[in-house]
Amino acid sequence: MPWMNQVTADRVKREFKEVEVERTKHTTNLHVRQEKLVDLMLHLKEKEGYKLFVDHTCIDFPEKKERFQGIYLLYNPDANERVLVKTWAVGGELPSLEKVWPCARWAEREAYDMFGVVYRGHENLRRMFMWEGYSHFPLRKDFPLEGIPEVELPSLTELYAGRTDPPSHDYELVHTRVPTLEDLERTEKSRLQKKAQLVLNWGPLHPGTHGTIWFLFDLDGERVVQSDVILGQLHRGMEKIAENVYYFQFLPYTDRMDYISAICNELSYVTAVEKLLEVEVPEKARYVRTMFAELQRINSHLLWLGTGALDLGALTVFLYAFREREKIMDIIEGNAGFRLTSAFLRIGGLHYDLAEGTLDVVRAFLKDFPNRLKEYHNLLTRNRIWLRRTKEVGVITREDVYDYGLTGPVARGSGVPYDIRKLEPYAAYGEVDFDVPVGEVGDVYDRYLVRMEEMVQSLRIVEQCLSKLEKLPKSAPFVNKEHPAVMAPKEEVFMALEDMVKNFRIVVHGESAPPGEVYASGENPRGELGFYIYSVGGSKPYRLRIRSGALYNLSIFPKLIKDGTIADAIALLGSLDPVVGETDR
Amino acid sequence: MATLNSNGFVLTTVDELLSWGRRNALWPLTIGLACCAIEMMHAAASRFDLDRLGVIFRASPRQADLLIVAGTVVNKVAPMLKLLWEQMPDPKWCITMGGCASAGGPFPTYSTLQGIDRIIPVDVYIPGCPPHPQGLLYGILQLQKKIKEKGVNKYDKAFEEFRKDMERQGLLPREVVV
Repeated sequence: MPWMNQVTADRVKREFKEVEVERTKHTTNLHVRQEKLVDLMLHLKEKEGYKLFVDHTCIDFPEKKERFQGIYLLYNPDANERVLVKTWAVGGELPSLEKVWPCARWAEREAYDMFGVVYRGHENLRRMFMWEGYSHFPLRKDFPLEGIPEVELPSLTELYAGRTDPPSHDYELVHTRVPTLEDLERTEKSRLQKKAQLVLNWGPLHPGTHGTIWFLFDLDGERVVQSDVILGQLHRGMEKIAENVYYFQFLPYTDRMDYISAICNELSYVTAVEKLLEVEVPEKARYVRTMFAELQRINSHLLWLGTGALDLGALTVFLYAFREREKIMDIIEGNAGFRLTSAFLRIGGLHYDLAEGTLDVVRAFLKDFPNRLKEYHNLLTRNRIWLRRTKEVGVITREDVYDYGLTGPVARGSGVPYDIRKLEPYAAYGEVDFDVPVGEVGDVYDRYLVRMEEMVQSLRIVEQCLSKLEKLPKSAPFVNKEHPAVMAPKEEVFMALEDMVKNFRIVVHGESAPPGEVYASGENPRGELGFYIYSVGGSKPYRLRIRSGALYNLSIFPKLIKDGTIADAIALLGSLDPVVGETDR
Repeated sequence: MATLNSNGFVLTTVDELLSWGRRNALWPLTIGLACCAIEMMHAAASRFDLDRLGVIFRASPRQADLLIVAGTVVNKVAPMLKLLWEQMPDPKWCITMGGCASAGGPFPTYSTLQGIDRIIPVDVYIPGCPPHPQGLLYGILQLQKKIKEKGVNKYDKAFEEFRKDMERQGLLPREVVV
């Protein structure tokens, strides 16, 4: 995807004298003083067409005077261009952009939680992931990855068996602080001031919330007057981990973010890192990646279908969908050795070559799956209960899509054909033929139809990859091991000295990345999953920001459910399809 | 052990009968925390079919006697999970599914609880990231074996200690003023 062109940059420069345009190798950055930030953003949004708010985060530079740099990533859907806007937080403060893009509210809350940057004009600047009363800002450079151990929490298993000194197994007695129920209650009360009859807590440990999301509904009878979403019940500190491990070591962590579509996550991540390290990927690897990413997309959509239907009372669909999921997971397990969090891809290619007989199994699956899809359609598409529960519920307009940074099937359900696979083809998506289905109304039913059609399109892509792979010779390389930052396959390490030496060097010292910044994203089943890597050289990223599609898709939930009913909340959440591993990271 | 005599009667002890009933109707609480929850769903779906072991997921802690902690437990969720564990009637058991719930797994970070056994006594640890559904089945079979061999008496004592521990840490719910 190209970045802001020279003509537009000059126009912006004429309008805002003090804006500095910086062109780096992979990005175009606008530097602006924070007093002018809101004006510039309004100008970019309304005059220049940079409507879609992609992401906002901060970077901590402890040695600089202002310390925190705010980064905004915007997208222009008409010109298909991105731009990065950067500004320094003077005195640890930044102006809030929630008036310009409502979803900035969530991104700013997160930046406040992680860095302690205060946003002027934010409606309710609270902790996003941690709880009220937590006294640290974890993503600051002076905060250790493992946190600050404060309380003694011995293993109860050991305690009941009779505590020994030294402990019976190797663990740290002193643990980071665990909040009390009072802390959580304070968190809850700070987020929502009761206006109507009753505040209902939905989640965090509820099967209908698709993970550990904590919803607060202020109810008048059955009508929702206002609501809020508390996240962070699965905040594992992914971005902090990324700063502390080598590039290749972070790859398995991406599996555990959106754990339902692990290979798609890996693909987004390796795309970003390969861009930074300038690694060419062999043709075979590109096609295998594409094929598996699409199988994973079908897999993910099947889980959405099964659980979404289960929430609305259709148990049969759940059992049927899981039957097909098992088949796909067997294909993945046969190749990667793992069912769910597969770690199949590697920087520069794949971990393993295709397993014997994979192509035949995929071919059989392709033949079988359209009939299964017909079964789901028979069960739901014209089902009266399904129609009544999903039609005209949770309507998202096109403006909402841009204002709330919605991507993926949620955006396409509202008729916005935003699909990274088409706009910035990665892997082999540029070489295969497929359509991007879009909805018309933007309700739950449209999003359902879009996802169902996406499965058909995924089948088409898999089919084309399959034909291509069948033509390629079996001995075609699946990893670009010539590149100094790419590890050689395991079998060759045992046979060749230079491969062993190279792998040893990478494992011990990591890949050495050039300084620079890069943003690359992939079209995940849950929207655009982007990785912004800020490198200052060396083998670890200085800052790795994960742009989560599910987080932004969820950010529209309080707006949509306002004046709706509790029953609609369940249908609506199912159609937004968040995965907490990705929203919380 | 139960013996069948020639008149069709079964002779056994009350303890043995109770233990037989308990281990063959382990009803877990429907809680999924992270990746492992997906594998837990797969274990419950048609291919692996937990129902045939008498394992039926219940939506309320009051109806459950088994807690399968499937996924990463972060510090923020720990007190809520402990509350749910408290709400489950005795006798009850706990299985940790996966590396995160057992010992923090690959997340030695500021926000992750390094092992659920720090707040809830655990009976069976299942390693894996995530474990295969077969791993979960094996874990449940191990728990059944444990119940058969050890009975449930020790849990009364354990629960009492656990409650005292909650009180000492001030984790029992109280009214809060903001």
